[in-house]
Amino acid sequence: MAEMWISMGPQHPMTHGLWTLKVKVDGETVVDTEPDLGYIHRGVEKICEARDFTQITTYCDRLCYASANTWSHSYIYAAEDLLEVEVPERAEYIRLMAIEIQRIASHLMWLGAYGPDIGNLSVMVWCLREREMMMDLLQELGGSRMHYNFPRVGGVKRDLPHGFAQRARAKLKLFLNRIQEYEALFDESTVFLVRSQGVGYAKPEEMVNHGVTGPNLRAGGVNYDIRWAHPYSVYSELDWEPPVERSSIKGADCYDRYRVRVEEMRVSASLALQALDKMPGGADTHHEPGDPMILAKAPARAPEGTTGAHHFEDSRGESMFYIAGGGESRGKQPYRVSIRSPIFITIPFAAKCMIGYKVADIPAIMGSFDPCIGETDR
Amino acid sequence: MGKIVPIKTQRAEADKLAAAISEIDGVEAEVAERVSGTNPRPVVLGNSSPESWRTLAEKLHSEHGVDYCSMVTGVHWPEGDEDKKWEIVYHLMRTGIRNPPIEDGLVQPVIVDPSTVRGSGTPLELELHVYLPETRTPSVDSVQDIWVGADWNEKETWDLVGIDFDGHQGMRRVLQPHETPKGFHPLQKQHHLRYHDFQDMYDDSQGFMRKPADAGKIK
Amino acid sequence: MIHMASGDWLNIVGWSESLTSWSMDNVHDILPSNDIDMQVTIPSTWAWPEPITMGPIFNLQQGFASIQPALESFMHATIMCTVVFTVMMLTMLAIPYIERKFIGRLMDRLGATTTMRSLWVGESGVTAGEWWKQLPFGMGIPIGWVVNLLNSYWGNSHELETVSRVNNRSYHGYWFLLPGFFQAFADFMKFATKEHIVPKNADKVVFETAPVIILATTIMVFAFVPFGPHIYAANPELSLLFMMAIFGVAPLGVFFAGWASNNKYTLIGGMRSAAQLTAYEIPLLITVLGVAVLSGSFNIIEIVDFQMGQNEGNVWNIFLLPLGAALFLITMIAEVERIPFDMPEAEAELVEGWWTEYGGIRWGLMFAAEYMRSYAACILFALFFLGGWEAPFQHTLAGLPIVGGTFETVFTVVPGLVWVLIKAWLLFAVFVWIRASLHRVRTDQILEFGWRYLLPLSVVNLVVATILRLEVWTGEPWDLWVPVALTLAALVLFVILAIDEDEEALEVQRRPYSTQAVVKASPGSHRD
Repeated sequence: MAEMWISMGPQHPMTHGLWTLKVKVDGETVVDTEPDLGYIHRGVEKICEARDFTQITTYCDRLCYASANTWSHSYIYAAEDLLEVEVPERAEYIRLMAIEIQRIASHLMWLGAYGPDIGNLSVMVWCLREREMMMDLLQELGGSRMHYNFPRVGGVKRDLPHGFAQRARAKLKLFLNRIQEYEALFDESTVFLVRSQGVGYAKPEEMVNHGVTGPNLRAGGVNYDIRWAHPYSVYSELDWEPPVERSSIKGADCYDRYRVRVEEMRVSASLALQALDKMPGGADTHHEPGDPMILAKAPARAPEGTTGAHHFEDSRGESMFYIAGGGESRGKQPYRVSIRSPIFITIPFAAKCMIGYKVADIPAIMGSFDPCIGETDR
Repeated sequence: MGKIVPIKTQRAEADKLAAAISEIDGVEAEVAERVSGTNPRPVVLGNSSPESWRTLAEKLHSEHGVDYCSMVTGVHWPEGDEDKKWEIVYHLMRTGIRNPPIEDGLVQPVIVDPSTVRGSGTPLELELHVYLPETRTPSVDSVQDIWVGADWNEKETWDLVGIDFDGHQGMRRVLQPHETPKGFHPLQKQHHLRYHDFQDMYDDSQGFMRKPADAGKIK
Repeated sequence: MIHMASGDWLNIVGWSESLTSWSMDNVHDILPSNDIDMQVTIPSTWAWPEPITMGPIFNLQQGFASIQPALESFMHATIMCTVVFTVMMLTMLAIPYIERKFIGRLMDRLGATTTMRSLWVGESGVTAGEWWKQLPFGMGIPIGWVVNLLNSYWGNSHELETVSRVNNRSYHGYWFLLPGFFQAFADFMKFATKEHIVPKNADKVVFETAPVIILATTIMVFAFVPFGPHIYAANPELSLLFMMAIFGVAPLGVFFAGWASNNKYTLIGGMRSAAQLTAYEIPLLITVLGVAVLSGSFNIIEIVDFQMGQNEGNVWNIFLLPLGAALFLITMIAEVERIPFDMPEAEAELVEGWWTEYGGIRWGLMFAAEYMRSYAACILFALFFLGGWEAPFQHTLAGLPIVGGTFETVFTVVPGLVWVLIKAWLLFAVFVWIRASLHRVRTDQILEFGWRYLLPLSVVNLVVATILRLEVWTGEPWDLWVPVALTLAALVLFVILAIDEDEEALEVQRRPYSTQAVVKASPGSHRD
């Protein structure tokens, strides 16, 4: 059969999100790919130039809706760099806990979508039920199920609700038991191993040059993580190590990327539990909103010519905000907000990874890189 | 306790790198400190002239092990200094990553102990600014072949800000539709946001009717 | 005709035959029996000397008598086809119901709200609630005792109000199984009323023909499948061959559908399907051939009779050919394109695969055809391997000293149809179980599996069947040691292959490049 271009998307059950992947196939083999993004480009960078620093947090949640907390914190750290605010330690612990719980929820969403890509329908329902638990926790913290608008420049707005620590511990411990069920469904299924091993190889140096970081990179056998390389928050106070996979000789395949994320869920759960234990002032004390223990006073204006930047370890890689201060409203609004999305850079790389494999491997490979189009298109 | 890269090591390495690249013509670099929240971290902050950008980029990649391009940002300063109307900010990083070795047919993962990194394996952050004077066709050398991660970043910068990249293969619109009119780059400052609030956008409280001024223009 | 060894009181074929012969005889008797002379005699003229007689002598009754057998069999066939089709469609209503309910339970797993467990556990009072109190006349009070007893053993600690907060479908009242029963009807109504859209550049003739081929061949299969000892539409001597031949025509329809839709996705899906179905036809046929060889006949009813035997010692084929049963199961799952073999219609890549462009009743009927084929596969498995309409341990139970009489009565009263259906439905639950737990195998892996592993195994199965029939079978019912030995051998092999003896070695084997997480997370790892 001759070569032909197939267009997967923009409406397609496999593409997690709204984008097009044009694939040139020769029979069943993929010969060339061309990704096409931008379907939900909402112009967030331009909008942010007309918003106060506090108002921008809401937009950042909606960048990657599956992993909202990590994005708003990514922005907040950059804003704190710009406005030169020192954050109280308790707020950092609360933030860390929120970030790690969000990481778990994001990975659960990924796993729940990856199963049906490969053909297993049950795991979607199972993962989403656990995600419900995490979303309940985050709802208690932030007020809504998906877009929390949780941090503020200088700390967090509200402290942990009463009884939150007990509920969080119960849910996280329950979750740690449940992970074994997902692993049983995947690791002990020969069909899954046959589908995901030997597919979509990528080597670490190649990945780094292409701009891919995060779990995709750690699946290749290197333990690079922004949380220790360019440290922020209180990760140095907690006992953790980023999970790494021993990849195959040809590079990291889909199975490695899957395993890394499962181990990451465990690490994140442990981090959240440790944060609860080590919270200054105790996890059961409650401070009123605006208390200096949880929120430091932040200047509302950024002087002209200052910049703030922060690299952040998002669930999907390295996300980054660069804010140039001193806007039209005499500094209350930034001049330029620039957002780096890990998936924006990973998708072309994943598209390159697919060449040479079969059409049936496309969802396996694409899904294993965990695309979330909200952050891609901004 | 969780190990992190000690800040002294990073600062020493940053100083070394800043000194090394300041020797290139047209480049000035220093080590600044960024504080996000509680942790300060050293950043190599550099200014490069557009002519020496390519040389600097190649030197960074080949001699100093900068292997990761994080972001390429374009900023438009219509009210800036004479020769600083356009700014391109490159965020690069040195990750110190090597392919893990293979022994006995098994890959041995590289587990770096952050507290013991030294020398050229130390992770470093770089922020390099390139300024362009007033021009209708801002353009700077592309580093697409040095760091492939810059590829789509450069496409996005051109698409949204309008800064072109010399030598970039396959430049096209990535975030805006393919048929966006030539010369339309929304993040330039002459384009203003039309609305600030939803009250500006709609004529009724529920958001069905557009304002009379927008009738027929948009859905 | 076929000599049938088994039977029960639900003799629909017999009733239909006697009905038709009775009615035809009546018609015969009513018809006038006198000769009607309609001859025309042309008198002789100078051109022909003898008078010419032309024309028939009608005897209506005799004329009718000559066509009566044909009429009888036609009427009988019509009646039986209608009956069998109705039985099939009515009993098939259980199939999507089983699928929906069972998959729902599997997917919700621990959540006590939607499993049967929700009937007795009340988690923080938000589950089914104390539904037994709604039963009239206080009938629910003993149920309440049972529930409290069960809760004391298998209740759960109420700190887990976290669990199953969502999907908290509480069935109030005792109609807990009926919700969802009419979903199948509603679905079909929806399909029936949708618009018929043909893609613009599609090949219209082929596009319309494909669903007809698929549906027609699927329904024709049921003509040869006996639902009970006397419920079948047709029973030729080689019913097995004929049925398998018709079963195998559907891939042609699938390929037509994939090609005619003028869509690259459906083309890929159609080709995948054609390749997969062809690859799995052959092991299927060889396996079925093994069964036929063992049972000594190509007639399905005789195969069932072979399993039922005359008296003690009869054995179901599954214990004689366990490998064959497993092969039949796997190849049938591939033939009906269910997960794990549903690559041709994989939603993740191909939207709906070869039937993407079909809408409305055509899609509805093809979807129904897929379920009909699964149903046919389940019934065939029950007939070939599970003894058909024989109750489990029928002869043994009937021969028990004291209670044997009760069992004998039960077995006489319950028609064979019931056992067939129970076995088929249970097997369908196994299909659903497999669907819920396994991933989709890639097409080239499916083909490799079929050609390289199943085909040789099916030949092995054929050899085993031949040896059993020629060497071991003595014409008498089987000695007990034969099926026991075979089943034990199969079980032992299965256990050996399934158990991971050496963790390290198996790790290396299963994961080609020995992937392992080197740094396990702090809270301890799952498997060491």
